[in-house]
Amino acid sequence: MAEVTYDSATCIYPGAERPAVDALQLAIKDGEFVVMVGPSGCGKTTALRMLAGLEEIDDGSIRIDGKDMVGVPSRDRDIAMVFQNYALYPSKTVGENMGFALKMQGVAKDERARRVREAAELLDLEPFLDRKPRNLSGGQRQRVAMGRAIVREPKVFCMDEPLSNLDAQLRVSTRTQIAELQRRLRVTTVYVTHDQVEAMTMGERVAVMRAGQLQQFASPTELYDRPTNVFVAGFIGSPAMNRFDATADTGGIHLGVATLRPADAQLRAAQGHSKLIVGVRPEHLAIGDGDGELTVKVALVEDLGSDSYIYGRLADDASSSVIVRSGREHPRHGDIVKVAVDTTHLHIFDADTGLRLGE
Amino acid sequence: MTAIAPPVAAARPARARPDRRRQGWVRRAPLLPALVFTIIVTQLPFLLTLWYSLQSWSLVRPGSEHFVGFSNYADVFKDSQFRTTAVNTVIMTVGTVLIAMVIGVGLALVLDRKFLGRGVVRTLLITPFLVMPVAGALLWKTTMFDPTFGIVNFLLRPFGIGHFNWVGSFPLGSVMIEMIWQWTPFMMLLVLAGLQSQPKDILEAASTDGARPLQIFRELTLPHLRRYIELGIVLGAVYVVNEFDAVYMMTQGGPGISSANLPFYIYQRAFLGFQVGQAAAMGVVVVVATIIIATFALRLIFTSFSGTEQAA
Repeated sequence: MAEVTYDSATCIYPGAERPAVDALQLAIKDGEFVVMVGPSGCGKTTALRMLAGLEEIDDGSIRIDGKDMVGVPSRDRDIAMVFQNYALYPSKTVGENMGFALKMQGVAKDERARRVREAAELLDLEPFLDRKPRNLSGGQRQRVAMGRAIVREPKVFCMDEPLSNLDAQLRVSTRTQIAELQRRLRVTTVYVTHDQVEAMTMGERVAVMRAGQLQQFASPTELYDRPTNVFVAGFIGSPAMNRFDATADTGGIHLGVATLRPADAQLRAAQGHSKLIVGVRPEHLAIGDGDGELTVKVALVEDLGSDSYIYGRLADDASSSVIVRSGREHPRHGDIVKVAVDTTHLHIFDADTGLRLGE
Repeated sequence: MTAIAPPVAAARPARARPDRRRQGWVRRAPLLPALVFTIIVTQLPFLLTLWYSLQSWSLVRPGSEHFVGFSNYADVFKDSQFRTTAVNTVIMTVGTVLIAMVIGVGLALVLDRKFLGRGVVRTLLITPFLVMPVAGALLWKTTMFDPTFGIVNFLLRPFGIGHFNWVGSFPLGSVMIEMIWQWTPFMMLLVLAGLQSQPKDILEAASTDGARPLQIFRELTLPHLRRYIELGIVLGAVYVVNEFDAVYMMTQGGPGISSANLPFYIYQRAFLGFQVGQAAAMGVVVVVATIIIATFALRLIFTSFSGTEQAA
């Protein structure tokens, strides 16, 4: 167990124009489950590999329990890594795979077997201990990779998209298993994924990255309720937040022909910025009985059973798409409906800088 | 020619099977010349050799041919020189292949790393395999091992070794060194292919698991390379068993028969001793022994390749 600190950690791949990870600043608490999330190429995997010692730290530093890791080979860092393709040792049995790190530490054979058996029990792997990885299913291999990490009782778990090779159903169940296991073991965990649902459901705190730079590091609720910029607003949440071009004056925020009246403080913060982006989550739009600020032409209805999502376009600006969450009663394709905006839940961003305005 | 085409509908059911057979012939017929050629150049000489091996036939006495049954074979097993050359062949093959493999693994490990000028080094290391065997042997006999102006003695002069006659003092060893030089690149290339097919994330996993480079090599890389090494050993052995050029060029099998292997000894018997019948019997014995050994060896590689260990 350990604290992990990224202090302006930077990684530049040879020949690349910009750093893969640019001055990353993160303070991860002891026993915390942190998820790094972002689109592909955002540097999240590189950041994890820097922690694991598989990528150079070209500038700044990474500290584990206050100890600087620059120049420390990965074998001396006491971290365990779960790889995307699991990277199981093909010539070794499941038991040997799980006990490999202990063998390298010179742990006696009996002790090794005992700890492997304990971990195997935890992961329901006992029947497979003598099998080779090639004779296992994808889900079983994933569990062996997890087992190999937990047998070691390391300071930090590094997980690089460990669920991306599983089918959708297994991914959901394994997701909860990993989160539960981590809460039980309380080992500091850094988990990388491109799937924002995984990030939101598993992480105690989530680091959203883009183009090598940290966008926001906060709890899932905070990310959802107060995204610091347009990118985070659009990336977190499924379906994505509605974003509209807008302008502001003392009368309110003008969104095409509609005018919204947000809280005074928010309106004051928005004034003086010539171009704005207004964000509204689908659940904060409601299909009104004839009244409402926006007029939407329905293009598609996704019925999910419990509720439905209405995909449409603004009637006065066909380039703006709108997603509205609705109940089981919903309009049909081609209908034109009035949509009311919950102005207490507006997100307002400067269109040029993309930064959040107001509290 | 007048012929009436049979009604198509009536012919169809009956033609289904012969049609497929004819299709098979059409597809395989182009291979026929190669098959005939192979039979002519390999199987006919073998049958002829079998026939000769049952005859007493000395080339210096025309008309001496007569059928002697299996007495040539009995002579082969009584011939102490045959046994010596057989032992030489085993030493030469096993020694050459194993030493070439060990050096090849070492060089492959070096080439698997990135360094400046790797392409040039790799090309230079492959060159011995591309040199004609006869030219290679001649090069080692003269340029390298010559007692007066050889490079080996020149390099060893600071260590007090003057005009040492390497080929004369260690004939078998000298021939083997030449063959190792020639076969190391082959082993190196095979092993290099094996190294480059090893998934990198497994090596990374091992290093995060706390393994040192030597431990990673022993625990993971070597098991991964096993089938490449086995393939190299079997293929190398098949060729080295038949080596003739190096022996012929460097030592002529001498002094005496101390550096002769079976192919050279058989050649000596047939074309210097003119004992066609005896040489033929030796050839047959060698072929049969080689087939038996090669069958076991090939079974070894095929089991290790069918049990392909997929990266998990």
